[in-house]
Amino acid sequence: MEPGGSSGVGSGNSGTYTPEIAESLRFEEEIQSLIHQSFDGSSAAGGSFTALLGLPANQAVELLHHPGPGEPPASAASSSPTAGDLWRLRLGEHHAATDALRLPFGGSSTFVERAARFSVFATDDSPASSSGGGLSPGLKAEPPDSDSPPTLPAPAGRPRRPSKRKECEKSKAKAVAKKSKSAEENTSAVKPAAEENTSGDKLPYVHVRARRGQATDSHSLAERARREKINARMKLLQDLVPGCSKITGTALVLDEIINHVQSLQRQVEFLSMKLAAVNPRIDFSGLDHILSAECGPLAVGSGCGGGASGTAMWASDTAASTGGIRRMPPPQQIWHLDLVHPQQSSTVWENNGAAHPHFLLSPAISLVGYDPAGSVPLNSNQLKMEL
Amino acid sequence: WRAPPGTRTLTPRFGPSKPMLAFRFLRALTLVHRTAANSSNAARSRRIQRAAFASMAYSAGPRRAWSRALLCRLHFHRARRRCAGRRRAAGVPRRPSTTGSPADGLRRLVPGGTGMDYCGLLEETADYIRCLSEQVKLMQSIVDSVGPGGR
Repeated sequence: MEPGGSSGVGSGNSGTYTPEIAESLRFEEEIQSLIHQSFDGSSAAGGSFTALLGLPANQAVELLHHPGPGEPPASAASSSPTAGDLWRLRLGEHHAATDALRLPFGGSSTFVERAARFSVFATDDSPASSSGGGLSPGLKAEPPDSDSPPTLPAPAGRPRRPSKRKECEKSKAKAVAKKSKSAEENTSAVKPAAEENTSGDKLPYVHVRARRGQATDSHSLAERARREKINARMKLLQDLVPGCSKITGTALVLDEIINHVQSLQRQVEFLSMKLAAVNPRIDFSGLDHILSAECGPLAVGSGCGGGASGTAMWASDTAASTGGIRRMPPPQQIWHLDLVHPQQSSTVWENNGAAHPHFLLSPAISLVGYDPAGSVPLNSNQLKMEL
Repeated sequence: WRAPPGTRTLTPRFGPSKPMLAFRFLRALTLVHRTAANSSNAARSRRIQRAAFASMAYSAGPRRAWSRALLCRLHFHRARRRCAGRRRAAGVPRRPSTTGSPADGLRRLVPGGTGMDYCGLLEETADYIRCLSEQVKLMQSIVDSVGPGGR
């Protein structure tokens, strides 16, 4: 995590009081310095605004909450598309002052960032304690507003007034903070650092986007990431299982998935019974047909080629993983077997005029493993070769 | 063999390779019919079913936990001559999951499911379902291609 430049608190997830107080003091000083830089002569507008900003930051922000005389009702405030407008509406006066205020803010991004964050904290923490108790609440309150600038009509629809006020506050603060920022997609607790807001931010925050109203310690964040992963996988499963999209509730979805897997396994059993009974004379014109039906433009030869190379790949993979010592001798045994019975295999494979390249027969049949004595010769020899 | 850890999260899954599946399974099928033409239908169907699962597991690749577990199980059963009590074929009666985690039924069904965390279990289930559907489609097409003359 970034070291907190101001307070040196590295964790940034506990609600310690002193860092925020120090923060607020420095904030106030910087605001004052900035304002005094820009406003030498105090026009009436500038004067009042300066006075406004001469206050400590939290008090200034508190002032912002009380609607000024010229402020239109909240609905209009919500309908304004940009948070920059909200600045004006909130202040209710002195657009020039607002614009002028923007300039110095735009100048120093770090300060602006801190202003944004701190106003966020101040407003957000009003229920909890007087000033900036919650780094985390502020941090987590920001992300929902990242998408509220484009959806500012939404606050009008929100049921809770204090939250709406906070959202407007934060969206405005963020717009002031980073006007050039595009809408961030940080509603989920994905790892992109909170410092996408500004670079060179010195605040000791946890650098993960957290949702509003949720804790941001590392354990819950990891848990939340894990839950997101699980939810994503569940969604994929729901798409995979037919008729599962409409079901809500994890237990029912799981039951449905279990049913589907069981039905598939039953189908395999049933079809294997059928195949055993039918004893298909698989001439390889049939094979051609099936393979082409299944995999379109792939020719049978290339299919077999893919098969052989695929098995070779897997053999190498498993050998790499297991360090298979046994890998070398068994293929040679099986190759020997294959050489012993080449005529059998070739006649089976070739008498139907299928276009199998002959060189593929050896690896293929070697996998089959002519072991008539074995109960399940296929599986065992394949295993020996490839595991 | 493990996929690099960075790719495990929410990666696009590799589907089962249909040509390989068809190739293996057909080969296994012909072999079963040739070598065990004299045994009963039930025994052959069991063998064919095992061959189906084996070809499924092979074509899925060693990247999947379920395919590895399935091959281990097949090998084990073959070595142990099908110890009767350990058979876990399809049709395990599904108990209501009131006790234990809700994924227990799924764990029993998916090969290798008992040793996995929930997240991995879901991913393996997805891949398993995909491979199973491919296998079922393949077998169905074989049965169809034999024609209406077959039973």
